[in-house]
Amino acid sequence: MIELSLPANFSDSSHLPFIAKLSRIDGHQTATLVGEIGDELMFQFQDLTISIVQPVGEDIIGDIVFVEPAYNRVSRWIRERSDHNTLLVTERCDQLCIMCSQPPKKSHIDMFTFMEQACMLAPQNMMIGFSGGEPLLYKEQLFALLEKVHTVRPDLKFHVLTNAQHFEEDDVERLRQTAFKSVLWGVPLYASDPSTHDSIVGKIGAFEQLVTSLPIMARAGLQIELRSVLLKQNYHEFEQLSRFISSKLPFVSVWAIMQLERIGFAKNRWFEQFVDHSENSEPLMAAVSVAKSVGLDISLYNIPYCTVPQKLRGFLSQSISDWKRSFPADCEKCSVKSICTGFFEWHSTLEDYKYGGVI
Amino acid sequence: MSSVFPLRFRRLSESSLVFANEAGQFFKSNDRFLERLDNEKLTKSDQEFLFDHAMASRRAGDINEMSYLHRLASRLRPPTDLSYVILVPTLRCDLACSYCQVSRAAINAKGFDWSDETLLNVKSYLSKSVSKRIQVEFQGGEPTLRLDLMSQIMDFCREHFEESRFIICTNLSVVNEAFVDIISAEDVFVSSSLDGSPDLHRKQRTNTKSQTDEFFKNFSRVGELIGDRLSALPTLDSKNLPAPSDFLDTFDHYNMRSVFLRPVVYHGFARKRHPTSKDHQSVWQKFYEACIYEMIARNIGETSDFYEEYYLTLILKRLLRPGEDNHIDLRSPNWLGYDHQLIDYDGRIYPSDEARMMARTGQVDLSIGDVFAGLDEEKRGALQGRAFNALDPWCSQCPYQAACGSDPIDDLARHGRADVPKPATAYCQKHLHIFDFAMKLIYSEDKKNQHSLALWLGLPSPIFLGDVLQ
Ligand code: SF4
Ligand code: SF4
Repeated sequence: MIELSLPANFSDSSHLPFIAKLSRIDGHQTATLVGEIGDELMFQFQDLTISIVQPVGEDIIGDIVFVEPAYNRVSRWIRERSDHNTLLVTERCDQLCIMCSQPPKKSHIDMFTFMEQACMLAPQNMMIGFSGGEPLLYKEQLFALLEKVHTVRPDLKFHVLTNAQHFEEDDVERLRQTAFKSVLWGVPLYASDPSTHDSIVGKIGAFEQLVTSLPIMARAGLQIELRSVLLKQNYHEFEQLSRFISSKLPFVSVWAIMQLERIGFAKNRWFEQFVDHSENSEPLMAAVSVAKSVGLDISLYNIPYCTVPQKLRGFLSQSISDWKRSFPADCEKCSVKSICTGFFEWHSTLEDYKYGGVI
Repeated sequence: MSSVFPLRFRRLSESSLVFANEAGQFFKSNDRFLERLDNEKLTKSDQEFLFDHAMASRRAGDINEMSYLHRLASRLRPPTDLSYVILVPTLRCDLACSYCQVSRAAINAKGFDWSDETLLNVKSYLSKSVSKRIQVEFQGGEPTLRLDLMSQIMDFCREHFEESRFIICTNLSVVNEAFVDIISAEDVFVSSSLDGSPDLHRKQRTNTKSQTDEFFKNFSRVGELIGDRLSALPTLDSKNLPAPSDFLDTFDHYNMRSVFLRPVVYHGFARKRHPTSKDHQSVWQKFYEACIYEMIARNIGETSDFYEEYYLTLILKRLLRPGEDNHIDLRSPNWLGYDHQLIDYDGRIYPSDEARMMARTGQVDLSIGDVFAGLDEEKRGALQGRAFNALDPWCSQCPYQAACGSDPIDDLARHGRADVPKPATAYCQKHLHIFDFAMKLIYSEDKKNQHSLALWLGLPSPIFLGDVLQ
């Protein structure tokens, strides 16, 4: 697993936190490399000297980091060589999904100023994610950030993961502006039966709110990525969900179907939640077929290649973030490893699947 | 209470009708529903069905209204810049096929090739397109008589556009080393004619046995060289149709399982010599359906290497997927002379191949300019009057309108005018037949049919493609 938070030493630990770009050459807002002793790198940021031990096999030069001298910590917010950079807007959320990978907290620290600076320093054409908690609890700040960054960095693209409970009629005009054309909004939808969806996201009325928000988003011309996780709680209704999406939501850009991640709440409730699609691929096949028949773009995520029938393999995406991806030892012998999505580092095994194995 | 998006209907059988709205959503029902609809006495379950299938809305701006408007809008594409161009570097040809009197000149004739000046102007004309991608189809005459002109155009396009694709339409009567060299590039495709059995091919096309043998030898050789970059169009004459299974065998022999079935269209004098009557139409339709059923029978058990009819697949996609609209004969609005143009041997520009034929036979001059003086916007504008089938009084009541198209040039060519009542046009008759046939397959309970539908649409498993209201 790639380290995102690195221990560091500072010449002055009372220095306030800041954003910097780790660089070999001096430039705007850079922490500039001034010395190397073995794998220890020394950077200079104004009067402050920072020393960071570079993780084995990785290159941190070029990364945009959040530096906290008081905590002896440097966090790699935007890694130059990665397609999977996500900024955490808040840990608060108004839903409580039964399988949440990032269980919400009550407290909130406003980091918008730092996030904005980080985006401004990002490499050309990068896609930057925003997630939470629920980022749109801070709708005004987030919209303002996206607008501001867009005026200076129109090359950047954004992905915002939101439960879409907070879009209102009054947002439409604003969201129609060009700044928001660079944003893909990831919106979870787990079932077409309101009570199934509501009980999965832990909020009564969440489905009804979604059904109100989605046409607002469509009217604003937003690009929408629907996201559905396979669960014991919704798997038997998957074809129905697909029929709902196919007939009522033709304006979504893509439908992402993903297998459960064994982290957060799902970790302790694994056996109540995980559904082995290899044992019964019918609901998944039917759902994909229905959506495909109306021309909807579908991508399957977190699903190892060998666990689905041949006919579904063309829909698989290699998706697990570089910093979380791994393979168990057996997979070394597999001929399709290079196109297989692999496993989350913290649960790297094929044991959950009845059918599957080296191809 | 919900408001239903207006429905049109058409009888499918004695007991069933197909209903559809302008956005192209459809379902099957019966006369009792029609009566209830007519008397404005929909039952609660009718209303629920319509609401659940997003064909009625409960209040302005709700999810169903939004999806309806979105579907409508995605079927209305604005005109785009030139991205598909047919080039005719020469009108000369070395064969004399029985149905091709108009689009050829004798092999040694003078003045039927692009001049240096024309070539120069074609390039500068193409360079004005803002499209990133271009498809160039070389036609003739026999374009391979001028390999030199073709390679100059290819070099130019590869340089100028981000992505180019070339299709050489050739009779393959001569395959020399220069030709082999040109088609070795991955962006070059070859399209030829294969009429079924060698016997039929000779009758319609190559005349002598030696020419026929030469063609089949060349055809196999090119197939070996470029694999599936070679395709073939059959020329089928309603008066002389092969048996479906022989026909498919011939194509299968060359690994061609995706076939485009259409009857030959005669132009000019040939039309007078070969009149197509109503009888021929029904003969053709029987042949067409028999071929499809033969394909379906052969598809059992297949997963990837399956038979399909190109146009039927397109029709199915148009029925089910708004925004699937890149075929010039099957789209509405059909912007003529925008994204799709033909540049003739003399540099004149036409909106389509058929438009050029009409000019050749002296029926009507539909050229929209030439590469020397540029486009004549006024002439091009005059063609757009019938671009929208939704504005046609017949089409606007037809349940297939959203999926169907508009082809005023075809109407002109066959009927001499563009304002013939739709049901009397060959275009409408042909399309009604295929749409009805597609519905029959969609609503068929036969597993074989469902299996093939899934293959044609790229679905992992067969599913119900059409809803039914009891
Ligand atoms: S054996 Fe491993 S590498 Fe191969 S497909 Fe399965 S999970 Fe992927
Ligand atoms: S041309 Fe015929 S089939 Fe097509 S929409 Fe018009 S009436 Fe219907």
